[in-house]
Amino acid sequence: MLAKRIATLAVILVLSLFLGVLGNNVLVQLRGLSIAETDNMQWTILQVETEIANLQVAVLEALTDDNPDLDAVRLRSDIALSRLGPVQNGRTGELFRENAQAMPLLAAIDAFAASLIGILDTPGRLDRVDLVEMRELIVGIRPDVRQLALFGLQLGVERSEARRVAFSDQLWRTGATAIALIAALGVLLLVLDRVLARARQRDLALRASSDRLVSTVEASLDAIVAADQAGRIVQFNSAAERIFGWTNAEILGRKMDETIIPPQHRNAHKAGMDRYLATHEAHVVGGGRVELSALRKTGEEFPVEINITSVRDGAEELFIAYLRDISLRKINEQKLIDARDRALRMDRAKSQFLAVMSHEMRTPLNGVLGVLDLLRTTKLTERQERYVGVAAASGEILLEHVNEALDITRIEMGSMSLSPAPFPLRRCVEGVVDVLSPLAQERNLALELEFGTGMDRHFLADGGRIAQMLTNLVGNAIKFTDAGSIHVSVTGIHGADATSATFAVRDTGPGISPENHERIFEDFVALAHAEGRQSRGDGLGLSIARKTARLMGGDLTVTSKMGEGSTFSLVLPLERVSAPADAATPELTHTRPVSARSILVVEDNAINRSVLHEMLKGLGHSVQEAKDGLEGLNAAKNCAVDLIIMDISMPVMDGIEATRRIRQEAGPNQSTPILGLTAHGREEYRTQAEQAGMTAFCTKPIRLAVLQEVLSGLDRADLGPVVSIDGVVLREMIDALGVSRARTTLDRFRSEFDDGIALLLQETETGVIAEMPALVHKLRGAAAMIGLTGIVVHLDVVSDAMAGDDPAALTSAIQSLRHAANAAQGQALDILSTVR
Amino acid sequence: MLFRSVLTLLQAAVLLTCGAPVLAQDALALILSDQAGQVVAEYDLADLDAMPQTEFTTTTIWTEGPVTFTGVTLATVLDAAGLRGASVSMTALNDYSVDIPMDEITETAPLLATRMDGEVMSVRDRGPYWIVYDYDADPAFQTETNYARSIWQLNRLRTMD
Repeated sequence: MLAKRIATLAVILVLSLFLGVLGNNVLVQLRGLSIAETDNMQWTILQVETEIANLQVAVLEALTDDNPDLDAVRLRSDIALSRLGPVQNGRTGELFRENAQAMPLLAAIDAFAASLIGILDTPGRLDRVDLVEMRELIVGIRPDVRQLALFGLQLGVERSEARRVAFSDQLWRTGATAIALIAALGVLLLVLDRVLARARQRDLALRASSDRLVSTVEASLDAIVAADQAGRIVQFNSAAERIFGWTNAEILGRKMDETIIPPQHRNAHKAGMDRYLATHEAHVVGGGRVELSALRKTGEEFPVEINITSVRDGAEELFIAYLRDISLRKINEQKLIDARDRALRMDRAKSQFLAVMSHEMRTPLNGVLGVLDLLRTTKLTERQERYVGVAAASGEILLEHVNEALDITRIEMGSMSLSPAPFPLRRCVEGVVDVLSPLAQERNLALELEFGTGMDRHFLADGGRIAQMLTNLVGNAIKFTDAGSIHVSVTGIHGADATSATFAVRDTGPGISPENHERIFEDFVALAHAEGRQSRGDGLGLSIARKTARLMGGDLTVTSKMGEGSTFSLVLPLERVSAPADAATPELTHTRPVSARSILVVEDNAINRSVLHEMLKGLGHSVQEAKDGLEGLNAAKNCAVDLIIMDISMPVMDGIEATRRIRQEAGPNQSTPILGLTAHGREEYRTQAEQAGMTAFCTKPIRLAVLQEVLSGLDRADLGPVVSIDGVVLREMIDALGVSRARTTLDRFRSEFDDGIALLLQETETGVIAEMPALVHKLRGAAAMIGLTGIVVHLDVVSDAMAGDDPAALTSAIQSLRHAANAAQGQALDILSTVR
Repeated sequence: MLFRSVLTLLQAAVLLTCGAPVLAQDALALILSDQAGQVVAEYDLADLDAMPQTEFTTTTIWTEGPVTFTGVTLATVLDAAGLRGASVSMTALNDYSVDIPMDEITETAPLLATRMDGEVMSVRDRGPYWIVYDYDADPAFQTETNYARSIWQLNRLRTMD
């Protein structure tokens, strides 16, 4: 572009120079024409001939005249001689000089002049001889003069011809150059015209694009503000006008930090600008969207989302900011946050409320169910018995709901704690299957267990929870499958220290429609139409199972196809541990006959206290009452008792503290068994209770059957920690299977148990211990599943006795096991009877 | 050139041998007449030498190299004779004549030269008087007209109406 322009200019310059030189030549030649370099040459030359002719006449006249005018001859001679000078010298002379043809003529004329001067200048008067000589000279020279004149004429003509030709050539050249220049200028003009046309076109395109840009900028919903390096605003679109409240006319040329930047940010803005201009190190420019605050004309500050770019406009750098007023969004965000916080607060309040309610409901339920239990021990008509049954069953259902709600609440509040301990996984799973297989058989379903290799080992986890979840899953599978089989598989992927265990429960039931795959895990989903318990998801079992699984770092999911059955997969990460050495069973010092115990009841609630009193009295024991921990502590100091039943939540001094003090202070009851009672769930106080020194722990409502079990446990010589039927576990089973199936399960367990005991006794007698360990193991798992923890303890004692090689002790252990089983069965049936 | 050197030798010979010029220089006076043809003045060399002298050096188309002319301006001569008119008719010995309008005669040009290179001019050497311009001083003098007016062997002036 530039080179082209330079080339064009150079061509024009050269042509102009050339034309200038030629023009100058023409001018010089014109001046040459205007200046006469010679006077009329022809005249000068002819004049020579004329004057010589005049001289000839004068000489002839003098010859013929008797009295000749010799002065006239002399004058004419001089004049003629003077005429010779210009021919030889001056400009006319130049014409002849060095001309080969003219030279002899000039030489002849020279000779003539010399001769004439010789005659004229000879002293004395001119005589006739002189005149004759002069005449001869003149006659002799005239042809030469004539010749010279003609020659001069010819040379003159040639010369002026040459000058004319030269001038004409010059003119022609000048003209040609001028024409060339004009042509060049014409071409240049054409080129310029084309360039101009193209420029105009480009300009038009540019303007169109600029118009488009302007309309884009104007139509933008985001404010667009452009500023120069000094921070002066150079563009402000209509969205910016709307957002900031400044008009274009007001703000253009003003500085950003005087207008739209809030005062507290102005220093930072200046510093940032200076830094950027000095180092070009951008923090905000080109850094994507950032949130800042901006200032409206009216002085309010508001949040904006801003994106700044920079463009180079010549030497200046231009900053373009795209701003969006996000005040509304911020307000909405705040509203959302508030709403969420409110919801969270509400949720927490709800959980709190549920926890408190379940506790508060459990306490009166304790009274209701206790009294109903007591009522059953009195003589009732058949009708009354039925009414009491209904009342007790209703109470049980209510209790069940309270328990589930409590579980959910605990999980949601994060207060459900796990009690991880090393446990044998195979025994845990087999226990579940053993307990539930009678039920499957009853429905003509095959219940298969497939245990993956490498899984038959100890893991560190809350085995009870795993069994609870599996019971729920298998129980549901049995409940909802009409024909086919239930397949339980346990597989695992072994990592470095942990195993990802998968418990898959596959059934051949009707399946679950896809839209319900997630719903069945929700809380309370089916409670609204809980008639007949015909669909999955009733109650909270699955929900609790899934939440428990997730609490353990795993998950519970379902895959199902309508008509083809369902597979529930419980995946849990389990830490592998080596099997612990069997802990020695602690010995209890107290051995008392079965009847007539002295019992201290420490309970703040008067109704519950009296219900418990009545129950114990009905069982033939003597009861002492204390209405809070401190009173209980004092009572315990006074005299020794056989058992202390201690409520945990009490005014003045709670049961935990009282127990701790009893255990710590040397007193008559320092080692008396203490049974803790709580209206809270099992979990909250278990650890504290154990640490404080409680022998056992029961949740309210305490039932007559449980009480009997506990008391019977006191009978056994080598009893470990006092145990009871775990009502919660039993109730979960009842929930999972339904009352009738639970009853069947219990019956089956009983018959299997009896068979087992018979076998045990037989083997003990014969001394051939063959099937005993496996049998004990199987029974133990089953008992644990149903919640017959008392039996579990006795089975463990039997297990120990088998290892101890003491037939007498073994027999004794088996006998007490049978005893405990009788009691447990009674209690379990008791619980069952209270459930509708 | 050859002619000129011959001429110079001859002149030198004449001066040495004769002692006095052969040509009657006195007879060659400048005759001035008025419109009526009445002779109003006759100036010889001495008369002209008595008038204010002007001198310049210039080249001419008739001579070789720069030449110094000395003499009286034409205007001075005419003033001295008290001649007025529209033009002046100048005539040479050979009766060559040329007219010059009065308003083209300035205070300085043309010059009525009496000497060339300090020497009086013989008739053979374009004497006795020669009307010249300072051609080199101004190109405007180098015109055909002025060359024509540069009359030599001048001996008569006459004013015309």
